[in-house]
Amino acid sequence: MNIGPITVPIELVRIMVAILAFSLFIGLNGVILVWLERKVAGHVQRRPGPYEVGPHGLLQPVADALKLIGKQLFIPKGADKILFWAAPILSFLPVFLLLIPMPFGPKLFALDVDLGLLLILAFAGVNVLAICLAGWSSRNKWSLLGAARAVSQCVAYEIPMLLSLLSVAFMEGTLNLTQIVNQQEPWLWNIVYQPLAFIIFFVCAVAETNRCPFDLPEAESELTAGFHTEYSGMAFSMFMLAEYSYIIVVCCVATAVFLGGWHGPFYPGSWWFLGKVYALILVFMWLRWTYPRVRFDQLLNINWKWLLPLSLLNLFVTAFLVKVL
Amino acid sequence: MEILAYAAFGLYVSIIAIGGVIAVAAGNLVRALVGLIMTLFGVAGMYLLMAAPVMAFMQLLIYVGAVAVLIFIAIMLVRTGPDGDETTSRSGRQILYALLGLAAPAVILSSVVVTNPVESFSTPTAVTVKELGKGLLGPYTLAFELISVVLLVAMAGAVLIAFERRISK
Repeated sequence: MNIGPITVPIELVRIMVAILAFSLFIGLNGVILVWLERKVAGHVQRRPGPYEVGPHGLLQPVADALKLIGKQLFIPKGADKILFWAAPILSFLPVFLLLIPMPFGPKLFALDVDLGLLLILAFAGVNVLAICLAGWSSRNKWSLLGAARAVSQCVAYEIPMLLSLLSVAFMEGTLNLTQIVNQQEPWLWNIVYQPLAFIIFFVCAVAETNRCPFDLPEAESELTAGFHTEYSGMAFSMFMLAEYSYIIVVCCVATAVFLGGWHGPFYPGSWWFLGKVYALILVFMWLRWTYPRVRFDQLLNINWKWLLPLSLLNLFVTAFLVKVL
Repeated sequence: MEILAYAAFGLYVSIIAIGGVIAVAAGNLVRALVGLIMTLFGVAGMYLLMAAPVMAFMQLLIYVGAVAVLIFIAIMLVRTGPDGDETTSRSGRQILYALLGLAAPAVILSSVVVTNPVESFSTPTAVTVKELGKGLLGPYTLAFELISVVLLVAMAGAVLIAFERRISK
């Protein structure tokens, strides 16, 4: 494509369009998921959930958003001003990059990235950094404790997550998400061959996105709100939006890598992909409102004593079978 | 296309340079770490520009995602507030020495580059993951393994230092 004297590569145009589409997708999802979460929480606890604003409380998230936009942005005394405001933005920005290699449909993807899986894993680490910066720059002991917990949790759970994805990559022989989806058959998804890897990945995904029962960095009964204690208004909602976006990203990865992506027994297409993603998100919410929070030593024990050896074993068995068969 | 490449190069160089300056001149440790992370991002961008995406993503995965976060934990353990020791103003002599120190590698490197110009491709060719893996497990196995031994030694040293401190208390 030519704009004046400069030739703009078509990939750049695709990325621009994709980022626009992703902002719409993420914003809309933020609204829908907040409503869904409150409804799920309500029904799990045998109450109707939000009911007053709009039919079945559908406009409740809009009211929430308006309230959050109108709130005063507040910065604690002695906090590091630049880093304090940089943290929520840094937490949210990588989401756009993480969605770029995602194959939403047979033709619906931003870019066919050869190292898509690696790109997602590389940029997902930025969120931990943002949480650290938020916790440290708030100059609040609860925030700092939350950040310290987030670090040890995320660094620990990243390893079995990587290993479980690696075993699928061994099997498929590629890191390209589009190709991984294409190589799966309509019904025989990778979860059939790699059930253990899927379970490990899912547990790690819950931990990496700081969701209950692993939501220790923001455990409200111990740390008031953990790393985002001092954030108000839109800065707080940026963190919430980032959290929901990361849930969408991990569910997308799980769908593409383990659940056959847009494949389905009939009419394959993006609706299958989105359906699987939302089913996984519902499982996330179901877990959150069913299980109590684990203790911190339990959290680390689950990872280092169970998930890590199991994922290593799974990787070795996969490597052996790939070589032999 | 070429103009875009130059623009990207300029952008990455400025990110690296600004990050480096922040890392050296920052008043507290966490800001210095943020500068370091900026530099790491710039270097990753350079790898992408040189058509080495594996290197770029590994750089982010390992350095930004793991090493920087671990440095962060170390900083949090030593409890530095936003007004640490580093915030005291520097004397003119210190700044002069720092600039001289900066000049030394610049002069040496530039003289080397001017006298022995490096042969390079005008358009970078991508190395596939397959070739990279074969290289690491083939001709470069020894170097690859030696690096991990260095890391092991560093880790053992860190553990030793930590233990000694606990005993002296």
